Amino acid sequence: MAAIETFYDVIRRQGVTRRSFTKFCSLTAASLGLGQTAATQMAQALETKPRIPVIWMHGLECTCCSESFIRSAHPLAKDVVLSMISLDYDDTIMAAAGHQAEAILEETKEKYKGKYILAVEGNPPLNEGGMFCIDGGKPFVEKLKWMAEDAMAIIAWGACASWGCVQAAKPNPTQATPIDKVIKDKPIIKVPGCPPIAEVMTGVVTYVTTFGRLPELDRQGRPKMFYSQRIHDKCYRRPHFDAGQFVEEWDDEAARKGHCLYKMGCKGPTTYNACSTVRWNGGVSFPIQSGHGCIGCSEEDFWDKGSFYDRLTKINQFGIEHNADEVGLAAAAVVGGAVAVHAGVTAVKRITTKHEG
Amino acid sequence: MSRIIVGPFNRVEGDLEVTLDVENGVVREARVSASLYRGFEQLLLGRPAADALAIAPRICGICSVSQSLAAAAVLRAAQPIAPAPNGLLATNIAHAAENIADHLTHFYVFFMPDFARAAYAGRPWHAAAEARFKAVSGAALREALPARARLLETMGLIAGKWPHSLAFRAGGVTRALALGDEMRLRALLADFRGFLERTLFAAPLEAVTALSTIEELDRFADSAAGDFAAFLRIARDLRLEEMGRGPGLLLSSGAYFGPEGHRFPAGLLDTKTGGLREPPLDHIEEDVSHAYMRDTAADPALSDTLPDIHREGAYSFAKAPRLEGRAVEVGALARQAVAGHPLIRDLLAGGGSTVLARIVARVLEIALLAQAMEDWTRALAPSEPYCAPDAPLADGAFVGFVEAARGTLGHWASFRDGQIERYQIIAPTTWNFSPRDAAGAPGPLEQALAGLCVGEDGATNVAVQHIVRSFDPCMVCTAH
Repeated sequence: MAAIETFYDVIRRQGVTRRSFTKFCSLTAASLGLGQTAATQMAQALETKPRIPVIWMHGLECTCCSESFIRSAHPLAKDVVLSMISLDYDDTIMAAAGHQAEAILEETKEKYKGKYILAVEGNPPLNEGGMFCIDGGKPFVEKLKWMAEDAMAIIAWGACASWGCVQAAKPNPTQATPIDKVIKDKPIIKVPGCPPIAEVMTGVVTYVTTFGRLPELDRQGRPKMFYSQRIHDKCYRRPHFDAGQFVEEWDDEAARKGHCLYKMGCKGPTTYNACSTVRWNGGVSFPIQSGHGCIGCSEEDFWDKGSFYDRLTKINQFGIEHNADEVGLAAAAVVGGAVAVHAGVTAVKRITTKHEG
Repeated sequence: MSRIIVGPFNRVEGDLEVTLDVENGVVREARVSASLYRGFEQLLLGRPAADALAIAPRICGICSVSQSLAAAAVLRAAQPIAPAPNGLLATNIAHAAENIADHLTHFYVFFMPDFARAAYAGRPWHAAAEARFKAVSGAALREALPARARLLETMGLIAGKWPHSLAFRAGGVTRALALGDEMRLRALLADFRGFLERTLFAAPLEAVTALSTIEELDRFADSAAGDFAAFLRIARDLRLEEMGRGPGLLLSSGAYFGPEGHRFPAGLLDTKTGGLREPPLDHIEEDVSHAYMRDTAADPALSDTLPDIHREGAYSFAKAPRLEGRAVEVGALARQAVAGHPLIRDLLAGGGSTVLARIVARVLEIALLAQAMEDWTRALAPSEPYCAPDAPLADGAFVGFVEAARGTLGHWASFRDGQIERYQIIAPTTWNFSPRDAAGAPGPLEQALAGLCVGEDGATNVAVQHIVRSFDPCMVCTAH
């Protein structure tokens, strides 16, 4: 690991052409919602700044985050990002074994003190002194704290690291605990979802390693660029929700017509994620497109909020009998009533603005 | 006698440690330890039965569809419904995509990189293996990973998202495929066949699945240019056909249930006698004598899973499943042996279940499944139903089996008033990497490692890596 090596050196060594590199910068900047100026900045940073090492650790988890990550749609993005991070430490894909692998951690910690990114998949269980997740003879929680000490920032991958996920579901047998409840003195970016979308992951890791800082976060610590809208806001079935057309049974006539899955328990109206825009498996689809409701897997406590198939009861629906004016008036009242997060707020705001203007 | 610990293992799914007792350079006893536990069987209790469809897949990010389908199978057993034939076909296509993806990951990402290790620097094939298969930087990865990702777009078409898909139900799948989707499926499958026939096999799939004897396999190794033939030539040099012999009992619960029954049938094969019979699946018991678990019923339909990390003599979070009291091996080798593939039967007759037989069976299954996926896609009838509506759930104890990539997966559940009263899961690697039972009988991997000559290398002997990885362990499924 040469100290002055840049990302660009690494990328070129992997056989990536200059042209592909600039394309990668443009695409990544676009996926992050940044303009062409940012693409140029990104290219410059990658060419001149020393490579920022990424250590990828696995705690109590199922590896779905890694699985999502390695299938990012843009093959170059995945290659570039993999060549950035895999130089260091990832115990699922790496070449080194056993204690040789532990030595890589030790070396990175010393050599890049305060300068490396710690990406954590899964979380530490705290019951029984952490013994439900043992890594190299020691509880994972110890290894996590030890590596976090000298990290610049931490990426909490997925619902496990961000919120606890299903392993923290009642009665949370192992006391699985999200990263920010264990590490309190480092900047943490949460990238929730079970798993998170591949392109969201590559976008975040590229941003952090390129600019050497975290992107803008919301109050819950999630990157705003991917988690500022609800699935419902951009759902292609939204017109059917507004029109009061609903699926009543799996694969019924309404399902074949692509009607709204709200009555089948869809949690899209209360879930902040990019599924309905970025989509999954190379932009092919997302759960709602497969005819199943969203279960809200990027939201805190999604596992303990009643059945995945119960319909949401705290949201307002717009019935088929209302015209846009009536909807606007009713909705304005709702907004006035300070109901912050529920279905329709975005649409409501748009409609009311139109009224006022 | 010295005791050495191998691990933590990289390039396996989850956390694994193996303890070897070595005497005069030979492994006397091995103990395999699953070191991660989350408690799925505890947290499923009291929830609405259908929620198992969203929770169970989260046991594993690699074989999530298998976990979904086992949950769907146990729910199906509890309600009087006939699943929609289209739903079964679409399920099989998605399940095969996941299982092929797992087999490919195993071959390219987990298994082959060990041949690029410095320990083999003197072998004539080493330089080529290093260029092609070295972890992270090998050229083959750059071809295999995109092909695998593209194959998994079929999962997008059928299941929306993967891993942790939601489309699988007791009655079929929630998404009806339109004609356009079917065309896209065909295109994806044609692409994937192209990758296999160019890169992995460098031969038509039909020529691979028609291989029926060790002699034919040898000729293939010498004549074909692909990665599989490269593996076969390395395997011959390292005598992998003598390495890592399992217990000799091979179990399959029947794979890919379709409108006409299972594509690969259920069976229990005794490789020593050649005897094949219906698997006695109601004679499965779990032993906790060496697991960090409290004493409980042996019958998975009646047992609890409550950890006790202070248990005397325990060394793994995995319980020890036994079939009629015996340790059995599961996986692609068992499936294809039970299904009677002539090449696999010939390999078993030659040396039993070994590292070579396991890898060949897994790669052969990729070819068989790629063809099966084409058949299933052709059989879809777009205007017919894809999902039968749910019926009321009966009270009582039920069981559902599927064949995951790594072998037999069973879910035992009791329902009352639509709620989960009891839930037990025995995953493939729970079978293969089981600890000892009360009689002291070791699990399949523990048997496969005993007798291995590690010489001066001790824990760093590469053969240990080959044997452990030949089972393609999934540790997060093992103890869940």
